[in-house]
Order: sequence, then C-alpha cells, then structure tokens
Amino acid sequence: MSLSELVLSIADNKQMLGLRYAEWATRAPSLEADIAAAAMGLDDLGHSRVLYGCLEPLGADPRGPERESDPSSLRNLSYFDEPWTEWSQFVAANAILDTAFTVMIEACVGGSVEVLQHRLRKMLMEERYHFLHGRSWLRSGIESAPLDRAWGEAIEWLGPPDGDTATLHHEGKLSMGPAELRARLEEQLETKSPPTSIDWSKWDPVRRRGRKGAIDTHTFAMLRGLEEKKYAPPTAAKQAAT
Amino acid sequence: MSGYKRVSGDAVEYEVFARKTRVEPLHQVGSVVAPDDDLAMAYARATYDEERWCEMAIVRKDDVIHLWSPGEA
Repeated sequence: MSLSELVLSIADNKQMLGLRYAEWATRAPSLEADIAAAAMGLDDLGHSRVLYGCLEPLGADPRGPERESDPSSLRNLSYFDEPWTEWSQFVAANAILDTAFTVMIEACVGGSVEVLQHRLRKMLMEERYHFLHGRSWLRSGIESAPLDRAWGEAIEWLGPPDGDTATLHHEGKLSMGPAELRARLEEQLETKSPPTSIDWSKWDPVRRRGRKGAIDTHTFAMLRGLEEKKYAPPTAAKQAAT
Repeated sequence: MSGYKRVSGDAVEYEVFARKTRVEPLHQVGSVVAPDDDLAMAYARATYDEERWCEMAIVRKDDVIHLWSPGEA
C-alpha cells in the first residue's frame, strides 16, 4: 500500500461523509444544526476534491475504471454504506470518524511529503469546527451502538500495528503510526476507545475495512451523475449527447 | 430520530460579531442558539461564513450589559 492509496481512502471517505452530512441538512435537531450539517458536508466534499487532486502529484493514481460500475471499488468505510436513520449515527461519525480522518491528515501534514504538507494544512483549520460540533453533541449523550461501531471502524481504518500506516511512518511520510494515531484520537476526544477485537486477517487493506458490502445504489448513481441526468431538461440532455 | 427535540430548553442565545478588514470595527452580523460555547462557535462559523471575514467572535447575549434600551433614553 502506497501513500497514494491512503490518500485515496481519505478522499473517498470524506466524500461519503460529506454526502451523509448533507442528507441531514433538513433533519437535524435544530435549525443551527441543519446549517452546520450542510456546511460541514460542503467542507468535506471540498476536502475530498483537494485530496483527489493530490493523487497525480503523488505519482501513480490508484483509481481504475471499475469505479464507474462497481460500488465496492470505492474505499469508504461500511459506516457510510447506507444513509443514517438516527441522529446518533450522525454524531458518532462527526465526533469519531471525522476526527480520525483529521488525525490522519495531521500525520500527512507533519510528514515529509511536500504536496501534502502544503495542500492539506487549511483542512485542519476547517476541521476544528467539525470537531467542536461533534464533541459538543457527543457530550450531550448518545446511544452506545453507533459510538462503538464508529470507534471500531476508526481503529480498523488507522491500520494494523505492522501494516502500511506503520511503514509510511517509518519512512517519514506520516508523522504518526497506528499507535500514535489512536492515542491522538483518544486525546482529542478526551476518552479511551472501547475494547475492540479486530481480526486483521479478515481486514481488507485496500478498503481499510473488515466488513464486506458497498454504498447503496442510489448514492452510487448520484456519485456517477446518473441521478442528475434524470432531471435534466430533454434539450440539455440532447446537447450533452452531441 | 428518537430522543431529540428540534429546540432545546437548555439552549442560550449568542450574538455573532465579525469584520472583513482590520481597519473596520467588529459589527453584529447575527445570532445563534446553542447549549454551549463550543457548539455556538461551530454554528456561528457554519451560518455566517459566507463572507471572507478576517475576524469573528461570539458573546452570550446574557453577558451584554445594557446601559439603557430602546424607549428608556
């Protein structure tokens, strides 16, 4: 696994996180939370664009043509496979997964790769407000099931003790390895992660997840632009075809 | 969405102030309602970040000391 593969994983996850946030822009518990969901969604979609833009300067772009037809080729966590039905799922993703991605971005910015040092720094400033939002809602108390799932997937995503994240850390490309990343995440959230037993032999190092599955067909169609085409005026569709 | 109301009884109002350049004073751009300072900061940034402000600040409305109000001068 190369640094490009890791950056693609951050990009795909931020894209899905942004989309799932945006789905709550009219369903959150207050008008302010609606607006925050929309704003954080836009931030994360923007971050994913910046991250995709880093792939070419990093060298080999790991994106293949299968991404147009196979939803399981996207590298998102299973937490994002389906739309969230409960606000507690939003809060757990906001507090734990969003912060896990930020901690990895900190490791990229603190590493030796210049393009990541420069392009990802601004994200950390914007993510501060995502963190404040998630932590505050977390403190208000939510159910344990989405929290435990988010913690489990975050720790899986950071990688095994002897995997690619550890190698990239030893090479100096990341300023933190899996243990440091986990400690940093716990420090940020002012709590210890719940006990988890991860079977790394079943872990997919490309998608950085243990569970099988993929995003729902509606979301995948939207990502490919198919949903928008349904609503395009016939003349615009004809013009696009010529 | 069980267990959550759209308006919390614990929420307090915060005034939001901002300015675009260092030479102009901070002025009020709006307000947000939140149960704590952290969430108020996140909401203020999300709601009023459409301009390129060089500074943004929030203050609890309850902490503003009024010398007099409209009709009292």
